[in-house]
Amino acid sequence: MAEPTTASAPLKEVQIEALVVMRIIKHSTSAFPTPATGCLLGMDVADNVGTQIQVTNCFPFPAAAPDQPPSQQEQQYYQQPTDAATLAAGAPRAKSNVAYQSEMVKYLREVNVDAQSVGWYISTSMGNFVNQNFIENQFFYQKVTDEKTVALVFDVGRSSAGSLSLKAYRLSPSFMASYREGKFNTEAIQKSNLRYQDILVELPLQIHNSHLLTSFLHQLPQPPPTKNALDFPSSIVDLTHDPNISSNPLAPNLDHLDLSIDPFMEKTCDLLLDSIEAHQTEQNNAQYYQRSLAREQTKIQAWQAKRKQENQLRGQQKQPLLDENEWTKLFKLPQEPSRLESMLVGRQVEQYARQVDGFSAVVSGKMFGVRGTMLPGDIA
Amino acid sequence: MSRFFQGSDSSSESSSDEEELYSGDEAPKAAEAEESSSEEEEDEDEESSSDDEGGKTGANRFLKEASDEDSESDEDKVTIVKSAKDKRFDELEGTIRLIENGEKIGDWNAINDQYDKMNRQIPVLMRDLDGKPPKMYVKTVAELETTVMEAFEKQKVTPKKTNPIAQKGLNALRQKIRKNNRDYSTEIETFRKDPDDYMKEDVVEEVVAAPKKPKKSLLQNENALDAGDDGFTMVGAGGKAMVYTPESILKHLRSIVESRGRKNTDRLEQIRVMEKLFDVSVNEYQRIRVLLVLIATRFDLTPGTGSQMSQEQWKLAQQEIAKLLDILDKNRDIVVVAEGAEEWEDDEKQPTITPGELFKVPGSVVSFVERLDDELTRVLQHVDPHTAEYVERLQDEGSLYTNIVRSQLYAERLKDEPRLDGSKDNVNRVVMRRLEHVYFKPATVIAKVEDDSWKAITAKLDSTITPRAQSSDTTTLVGKLASYLFGNADGIIRARAMLCQIYYLALHDNYYKARDMMLMSHLQETIGSFDVSTQILFNRTLTQVGLCAFRAGLVYECQTALQDICGSQRQKELLAQGLQMQRYSQITLEQERLERQRQLPFHMHINLELLECVYLTCSMLLEIPTLAQAGSSPDLKKRVISKSYRRMLEYHERQIFTGPPENTRDHVMQASKALAAGEWKKAAEFITSIKIWELVQKSAEIKEMLEAQIQEEGLRTYLFTYAPFYDTLSVQTLAGMFDLSESKVTALVSKMIHHEELAAALDQVNSAIIFRKGVELSRLQSLALTLSDKASGLIESNERVLEQRTQGTANAFERQGGRGGRGGGRGGARGGARGGFRGRGGGGGGSGFTGGALGNAIRAQ
Repeated sequence: MAEPTTASAPLKEVQIEALVVMRIIKHSTSAFPTPATGCLLGMDVADNVGTQIQVTNCFPFPAAAPDQPPSQQEQQYYQQPTDAATLAAGAPRAKSNVAYQSEMVKYLREVNVDAQSVGWYISTSMGNFVNQNFIENQFFYQKVTDEKTVALVFDVGRSSAGSLSLKAYRLSPSFMASYREGKFNTEAIQKSNLRYQDILVELPLQIHNSHLLTSFLHQLPQPPPTKNALDFPSSIVDLTHDPNISSNPLAPNLDHLDLSIDPFMEKTCDLLLDSIEAHQTEQNNAQYYQRSLAREQTKIQAWQAKRKQENQLRGQQKQPLLDENEWTKLFKLPQEPSRLESMLVGRQVEQYARQVDGFSAVVSGKMFGVRGTMLPGDIA
Repeated sequence: MSRFFQGSDSSSESSSDEEELYSGDEAPKAAEAEESSSEEEEDEDEESSSDDEGGKTGANRFLKEASDEDSESDEDKVTIVKSAKDKRFDELEGTIRLIENGEKIGDWNAINDQYDKMNRQIPVLMRDLDGKPPKMYVKTVAELETTVMEAFEKQKVTPKKTNPIAQKGLNALRQKIRKNNRDYSTEIETFRKDPDDYMKEDVVEEVVAAPKKPKKSLLQNENALDAGDDGFTMVGAGGKAMVYTPESILKHLRSIVESRGRKNTDRLEQIRVMEKLFDVSVNEYQRIRVLLVLIATRFDLTPGTGSQMSQEQWKLAQQEIAKLLDILDKNRDIVVVAEGAEEWEDDEKQPTITPGELFKVPGSVVSFVERLDDELTRVLQHVDPHTAEYVERLQDEGSLYTNIVRSQLYAERLKDEPRLDGSKDNVNRVVMRRLEHVYFKPATVIAKVEDDSWKAITAKLDSTITPRAQSSDTTTLVGKLASYLFGNADGIIRARAMLCQIYYLALHDNYYKARDMMLMSHLQETIGSFDVSTQILFNRTLTQVGLCAFRAGLVYECQTALQDICGSQRQKELLAQGLQMQRYSQITLEQERLERQRQLPFHMHINLELLECVYLTCSMLLEIPTLAQAGSSPDLKKRVISKSYRRMLEYHERQIFTGPPENTRDHVMQASKALAAGEWKKAAEFITSIKIWELVQKSAEIKEMLEAQIQEEGLRTYLFTYAPFYDTLSVQTLAGMFDLSESKVTALVSKMIHHEELAAALDQVNSAIIFRKGVELSRLQSLALTLSDKASGLIESNERVLEQRTQGTANAFERQGGRGGRGGGRGGARGGARGGFRGRGGGGGGSGFTGGALGNAIRAQ
């Protein structure tokens, strides 16, 4: 079907079948609020600009089996929600699921479906997905050489507000390199010049319909001619409903003007507060580290000065000198806390901020529209 | 007796049944003899003491008695003495027979035991026979020596297997005999020369010996008998019994004092000796000296912290202290002082006490009383408080208290004595002790104790600090004791006195007085530097003040007072009322031991369950309206009044099924739930059905008070919770709902409006509450405010880090410029936030302002 790709061609975009989108939405909304994960299948098509990933099929992952024995039932009872969430989020890289995936791919190949794994998808709510789990999952896929994989993030919360929110992400090559080394101390970050903006790379996403489907859409039956007499109202809701406004979801209606600022902003604020709290914890850790480091360093300096003096004295007395680098054995510097978490928090906050930005752009447009209708004189 | 059986058991070979029977029979007989003689002895004592109960005290009566009895009942005495002596001889004979039996069967172990026993009996008999050993004894010893030598020689020649126990007994016996026989060598010699002749002589001697007896001083005789009966003898260097005479008292005392603290001193024996010394002492000086040592030795009986004094010993010590105080009161020229007194070095001579001049004896009465008190406390710490024994021991407190009062009188006298440079220290200490016995008791109990103790003290004596006339008024008593200490003592005693008085006041429902004193004392700031027991007292006082506030219906005050103690989950430890079992505790054994020592005896405890109940109830009355007021705003967590209560409430809410309440906690939690739902009647029912209220005085009033509080708080909670759903609300309806008077409802609502807790106005014409709408911050608005706060906090912390980094570098200036700009942004954020708050008054405008605040904060970032 597709000509063999060159390994060097970078990924430039993702194309996804409408059917796959539907399946992701269905799986995610049914599993909500537990995050749902699944595997993407398809192929990569390379041209001279870059590689395009075509996602043509998908299947969901079952939640990974719990690791702890069932004896701690009571504890489980209380922690079930969080446990289920972490288990579900960790599903793509769980061992049992790797086997499940290969099995599944084998069967799908038999019915002549594209059998190349091109990544995974996860559902989230209000953009709350940038965390260690996500990074690890994507790293699990991306660490394989010559891979063409992508992580699709479907935001259930935002999609329910009206517009589809589906994004494709990959880890940036620089982040991959750092993560491979597993070093996230200040020095390493300074050297690699890695910033929180550089963790994820978003790829443009296209939804593709087959020609057959497009033609079907174009041939959708026209709405029947309007009747002069109104239908007898079937319920009370119908009475309040303006008969001039079509109830057909595809036709323009008033639902699009729904503002619902408060719920969205509240949720975002809550999440932002959480993130800030997490950031503060990280900051405290870092500060603690710095204080203990400083303490330790003064100790070492004192020791070194003493040793130097002693050596001077020994030199005068023609005695063998003592080792001046012995402090490495005597003193143990505190372990620097990983900066990864705070970077992720930074990226997460950025995600929220972008979300609010996008949201406010839409909402302010709507609000101006409302204002226009209310004050016709002004506009005119 | 078991010893005997053991002995015959070990002889595995040829011990016949008869012999066994015999040996079994003999021993009880001997024991009986001993018993009966001692009984007779006791009878005699009692007779004599009952003779002269009318007024004669001390050793006087014995001295007189000696002459009395000489004239009247000599014959009685002699027969008694004689029979006792005969019995002793019988006993000796029995022992000797057992030894002979042992010789026959070669049971050296049994012989060894019997030999020891015999040697113990001998000294008494020797005294009876004018220092000569009894013939029988000499005979036995001499024969035994030869037998032992023979047996030993035989064993050497034919080393056949003998019983190892018998072997051991033989060896021990050989050595003992060799050592012992040296003392009686002359007698043994004479016996060896002519055994028959020697034994004949004995019969004559015994006849002679008997009539000699009564000529000796009866006193001495009695002592000797006592000594013999008690199973021990004072053997002097020459093998003679010790003689207690008034002249030798000081010498005896010195030897006892010198042996003090050494190992292997038999203190009980010393005590017995001293009791006798006290009886023979002729003048007051001697008596004081004897008592001083005697009391100290009694206290020495229980060294260390593990053991406690037995009741008997304690009582004796208590009586002796009373005796000492008696003597000291009668003889005002002799004083016992801790400092400035010189030891009397000359044991042979008595000091001459000239009337009108003070004679000082070293020692400290106050210390004795303190020790007595400590001992009782220690006993009470260890006795199970739910037993009759505890009550019994606790009854001793009355006599202890009398002693304390008396020693206080004594200390006061010494202080006022111009010839002594008396320090106030003693008075302070004893007054403190007295206060510590009084402060935690209810007034009626104190009055009773006071009354009893003053009755026990002779009418002549009176105290300057706490006059006898005022003893019935307990409040002034405590006040006087405390104010005396406050004026005269310093440091810890002063603080303790203060705390005791506060505790007393709080216990007797003088809340405001107690609170004012507590605040004036400023102890809260310095209490950390005091010793642990004072800190415990502080905790107790604070708790008591809290409970007092509760009884007075002051919920807020009560909650704040109890917060520190009850909120910490360590009530037991803080109040020293039992050890807290901590799971991950790192207390060493040493610490645990110390903590055990600090525990208060049970009768001083504050009821912990009541305390918890009061605390939880107060927390409920404060927390539930606060919770309702906070609603679901994000700064909910900030306004936590009682963390432990919140935790319990959360736990309670997590439960799937809540059964009917069982314990206090359940009751309060279910009441909380009902109160939060506005069902004040149910809440009040839950609270008043708690059983523990019965322990509080005036429980009916307390319950009424609680009901009233629940009504008010219920009303507040209702208004907070349901205000958003009302436009107007009639005062009358509210009053009906909560069973309050209309004026009360109006007052409550006005208060809430005034504190800006409720956005409403009172329509006095229609008597209704009119709620204003849209005044409350929406959730989004409050979230935005919190967010802007957090954001500015973040900026600040970032700036701090930057400052640290750029300290003293060249770049600092440039960065500072940047920071100035940021600071401006921050200021804007603040201004915006303030605008948001102001916007509350203006209605819907609030949202715009807060949006601005958020925007500024983000831009600043």
